[in-house]
Order: sequence, then structure tokens, then C-alpha cells
Amino acid sequence: MKIYAYGIIDSNSGMDEPLRELGEASVYNIPYRDIAVTVSELNDEAKEITDTYILEHERIVERLMEGFTVLPMRFLTVFNTKKDLLSMAEFYYEDFKDNLVRLRNKVEFGIKIIWPQDTIKQRIINAWNKSNHSLSIPADSKAKSFLKEKFKQQQIEKEFQEEANRCIAVVDDYFNKIACEKKLKRLQTENLLLNSSYLLEKQRQNDFKQAFEQLKSAPGDLKFLFSGPWPCYNFVTLTKKPSAVDYFNTEDMLNRLLAQQGLPERNAV
Amino acid sequence: MTMNRIIETDSQEAFIKEIEKVQDVLPKRIDANPKNVEKGLAKLVLTLVELIRKLLEKQAMRRIEGGSLSDEEIERVGETLMKLENKMQELKEIFGLKDEELNLNLGPLGDLM
Repeated sequence: MKIYAYGIIDSNSGMDEPLRELGEASVYNIPYRDIAVTVSELNDEAKEITDTYILEHERIVERLMEGFTVLPMRFLTVFNTKKDLLSMAEFYYEDFKDNLVRLRNKVEFGIKIIWPQDTIKQRIINAWNKSNHSLSIPADSKAKSFLKEKFKQQQIEKEFQEEANRCIAVVDDYFNKIACEKKLKRLQTENLLLNSSYLLEKQRQNDFKQAFEQLKSAPGDLKFLFSGPWPCYNFVTLTKKPSAVDYFNTEDMLNRLLAQQGLPERNAV
Repeated sequence: MTMNRIIETDSQEAFIKEIEKVQDVLPKRIDANPKNVEKGLAKLVLTLVELIRKLLEKQAMRRIEGGSLSDEEIERVGETLMKLENKMQELKEIFGLKDEELNLNLGPLGDLM
């Protein structure tokens, strides 16, 4: 019987109430010193578990958050035996303790921003065409024309990146003073200007939402996606390096959840 | 605490499209099944070649701008970079790879390119 793990909690007591998940298996805690790993048993059909379970995984983590500080584990983290799981707990114990203290009473929010990259690039090209800043060599051969064109492309790309940095700095100013920590991913696609996660104290959730409303009402041509509060998927940091398995690399978790939930309509709660 | 989750956007489709693009471009594992192992390896190798090609291009531009290359050297550099780009284009077509697929996720360091 394999063991499916949902997260680490800052208590080694049993569950307050029974939970059932993943094929109706009951959810319980396996204690290690003063912490515990929340798990459920899994039949050998682990391969059959698909993304459809991702919402159930998320629901369990959220339920745990009602009573504990939780380090959510990566979706589909499965251990072959209880002994393997306890070895992992022993190996990471100090890291877990540090993270549990750091993430106590905190939640994660996500801000994604799409910008009109076509318009911005065209504006940069127009400005370039008006300037005389081309490569100072004659275009008297195919090779030199190629170099001149490459130089132009590089300069336009450089300006595009700088424009993105300026825009992200403006956006980040709205949230920086409210958040404890942040993870900013810039230009994951040319349209997706910013994919960010902010960690904040639970009591500052309203401040964060208000900052978002201010940002949204500012003039500009940006599209926004606001989401949260989430468990702290993106802020578990481990200093000890695992031998081969990465249990906490959950950076894609929120995207998968958003995809599963189909991005509800505007203002949906 | 009850989680009063909010997911709010006025551009649902645009975000779905971009999120899908991010997930498609950066698979978490190398898909090394026998049917496409060749493409997987080609992707990895071409990503590294593309990185080196871009670095070469940047370095060449710096040196041309700095005036440290003779006319003949500029001609040779231009021709080499042009041929390299054409060859990359051919290889991408052979292995069915798009420009945006030639990248690596370096975890906390972000993307390679």
C-alpha cells in the first residue's frame, strides 16, 4: 500500500475530524517529532491518479490550513512505504521547522498581468526607425545587411525587455509594502508580462485586495488576473538538497488549479 | 479560517491561452519514450546551440560597434552567423520544433533564454 502525502503540519496530533479523499481513503497524520505529514493510503493504481484529483488535493490542504500551518506538498507526491516517508521527514526536519515558523499565519496571492506586446513592440520599432542608431557599417553585402538587421532586432528586444522591467516595477510598487515575500516571473510568454506570487500576513488580505483595485483602475492597457488566498505553494524553501526527488516544487500548482477551475467569470467568488 | 478564494479576471480566455503556453513550453520532465526520444534530445541540444548562437551574435555586435573588427572580418562574421541561423532553421523544421520550445526551465533561476 502506497502513501499519498498532502502536506506537513505544525502538530503531531491526530485529525480533529475524519476526512476522506482520493478514492475514499481516509486522511490521517503520520507524526514525526513535533510535526506530522498528512497522508492517505493509496492502492497500487497510483498511475491512474490524474489532474482531476488536483482539486481534491487542494481541498485537503485548505482544510488543514483551518487548524494548522501547512507546507503543501507537490501534487502526486507518493511514498512507497511509511519508512520512506519518515526518512524524508527526518532528512528535512530542520527545514520544515524553519518554514513552518516563517509561514505561520500567512497566505499566498497571485497576480498575473497580460500586456499588449504587439502595440508596445510596434511603438519601439517606430521609435527605432525614426532614430539614426543603426549599426555603423555599409549594407553593401548580404552578410552586412544581415548584421544590420540583427543589430536592429537586438536593440528592439533590449528596449522591449527594459520596458517590461519598468512596467513590472510600477506594478510591484502597489504590493511590495504589503507583502512579506514575493516571487516575480517576468515575460514567461511575450504577452504574459508578469506572473507573480505574494506572501502576506492573513490580516493584510484586504489591504492587498485594495491595492489590486487601485492598480486595476490606473490608466493603461493591461489585463489582470487576481487569485487567492492560496496555501503557500510557492514559498516553501528547502536548504537541504534532496537526493533525487523534489517534493515541494509546486510552482506550476496554481496554474494547474486555475486551469482545472476554468478561470471563473469576472468577479466570481 | 475559511478560505474565501477569489479568482477575478476580465480576460478569462486570454489568460487561459497564456497559461497553456507556459505549461506547453516548459514540461517538468523529459518525455523520453522510444517514439520521441530523438526529438527530445534534439530539443535539448538545439536549445544549447541556440543559446551559444545568440551569445555569439551579441558579442559580434559589441565588437563591430566598438570598431575592433576590420571590414573583411565583419563580412566573415556576418556570413558565419547567417549560415548558422539558416542551419538552425533547417534543424528546427526537421525536428518539428518552434522557436519558443527552445528553452530550459532552470527552476528558481528562471528560464535559460
